[in-house]
Amino acid sequence: MSIESIVKEFQAVAASPARQLDNYKAAGKKVIGVLPYYAPEELVYAAGMVPMGIWGSNTKTISKAKEYCATFYCTIAQLALEMLLDGTMDKLDGVITPTICDTLRPMSQNIRVSMKKLNKMPTIFLAHPQNRKPAYGLKFCIDQYTNVKTALEEISGAPITDEALKEAIKVYNASRAARREFVKLAGEHCGVITPTLRSAVLKAAWFMLKDEYTAKLNELNAELKALPVCDWKGTKVVTSGIICDNPTLLKIFEDNHIAIAADDVAHESRSFRVDVPENDDPMMALALQFAAQDYDVLLYDEHSSSNRRGEYVANLVKESGAQGLVLFMQQFCDPEEMEYPYLKKALDAAGVPHIKLGVDQQMRDFGQASTAIQAFADVLEMAK
Amino acid sequence: MAIYTLGIDVGSTASKCVILKDGKEIVAKSLIDVGAGTSGPDRAINQVLENAGLKREDMAYILATGYGRNSLEGFADKQMSELSCHARGAYFLFPEVHTVIDIGGQDVKVMHIENGAMVNFQMNDKCAAGTGRFLDVMARVLEVKVGDLGRLGALSTKKVAISSTCTVFAESEVISQLAQATDKCDIINGIHHSVAARVVGLAHRVGVQEMVVMTGGVAQNAGVVQALQEQLGHEVHTSPLTQYVGALGAALFAYQKASR
Repeated sequence: MSIESIVKEFQAVAASPARQLDNYKAAGKKVIGVLPYYAPEELVYAAGMVPMGIWGSNTKTISKAKEYCATFYCTIAQLALEMLLDGTMDKLDGVITPTICDTLRPMSQNIRVSMKKLNKMPTIFLAHPQNRKPAYGLKFCIDQYTNVKTALEEISGAPITDEALKEAIKVYNASRAARREFVKLAGEHCGVITPTLRSAVLKAAWFMLKDEYTAKLNELNAELKALPVCDWKGTKVVTSGIICDNPTLLKIFEDNHIAIAADDVAHESRSFRVDVPENDDPMMALALQFAAQDYDVLLYDEHSSSNRRGEYVANLVKESGAQGLVLFMQQFCDPEEMEYPYLKKALDAAGVPHIKLGVDQQMRDFGQASTAIQAFADVLEMAK
Repeated sequence: MAIYTLGIDVGSTASKCVILKDGKEIVAKSLIDVGAGTSGPDRAINQVLENAGLKREDMAYILATGYGRNSLEGFADKQMSELSCHARGAYFLFPEVHTVIDIGGQDVKVMHIENGAMVNFQMNDKCAAGTGRFLDVMARVLEVKVGDLGRLGALSTKKVAISSTCTVFAESEVISQLAQATDKCDIINGIHHSVAARVVGLAHRVGVQEMVVMTGGVAQNAGVVQALQEQLGHEVHTSPLTQYVGALGAALFAYQKASR
């Protein structure tokens, strides 16, 4: 298949998760919604069910969710609840609600209460440990994952065997490796993989069974590898933030000849940086993977005073060949807002230019963002 | 033969044009008090050509900037962000400039300039506080013309604090002050300091370096300029051409393109 036709398939999936849900249900599969962040999707896959990511929406408006949410909840969480309430996700067989940030914690309860009240679907609470590396943190994590496993077994009606989980881990590791390779190839072939296409390819992963997805992505990667490396005349940036999949915003990048060399985005690379060890104890392996997650604003860092994350992001910009960084700051995202001064300090120290764009998923006017991105492109171009 | 270039700045509240001869001499300018999405840009273009006694075909290069810059696709040869154009225009008028503060109709920008090139900038978030729109709203509540705010603020004899940073809440605060029979001139002076406080916060994020130049329509308001000077601790330079700085920068970039 040609690059264009493979990418078109990913675009179709990314644009219509509801159709994916319908298709999986029509095929007799059970589907579990998975909210951000770091839920062990491998358990869902091992249970023979389909995990589908829920990261808000760029087209819906918050209405029904207002009954449950304070106004300072981020739009990603509010729109996730909106879609659970308005019927968009009624075909789901359950939903996993991780609680790693201050919004998701109360949101997990809003979802639990509302889903029960409306008799919609079971909710599966997941609290990751803050201290994820010590033995007690690993034990806590395994306990939590065991709760998730038990709840999933109730929904699927069958136990999740260690063998099935080990196989799921292999499938997911292969998928993560393929996505990391795609990110690298997309940076090298930015003339072909535009920011919009890059986003669609990575976003589709949240709505497809990973074996299907990886097979298709490997095909795409092979085609990209066969191409000569693009001689890009524009500028390159690293993107950072929770999510930046808005097609209108990404089109502005393209209009200003800005390519994405790499990303530090929760919805993208942060979700597939770390593999799960393939060992004999798959539950411990999943806990070890969470323990190994790092350089994320949402995770506790015992060495936070050394600003390791800021340095990591600044290095990412330099190593990827980018000239600057665009930070998509989600409105009301406390962790990202509070981290920003430290990130800025590290970027300034490393001489990395950056801009911070305030975004939310209900943005419909991009005039100001367009001006800022164009001006940033001018700054980067002049600095070349 | 002379090279004429046209810079068009389609702002949110006004449309401005400048025609330059050989990248040095302003031969004509025009300003219409309505901006993006109105007849303003067309009228400003027709007027500047008429003022110069020139035609579209005489223009070697046309460059559009401002909030409505994309609306001139097909007419302009290129479009650029107003930040780059304001920086370029300010550097043309003040070669010693290092900091440009542009308060426009709906946003505030602070740019850091090195050797005429913009190397860093900050824009306000999606909030009207500290912008021209904020002053428009306050002028309406106070029943004065926005063009008179500077003159009236200078007559203030007592400090009044308008502490809300939100336009909507500040409007309530002004109404409350009016209800208490506070002198309008004192309220206006308080409003100018409120605008300045917002802008100064933004400016410090970029880092303020002499010389500081203020561009955009709000620079015509001496009260805001004075409040900015007080709060920044630096002299703030303005030009009689303040409203045309974006269009001037666009015409300068256009000349750069045309002469290549």
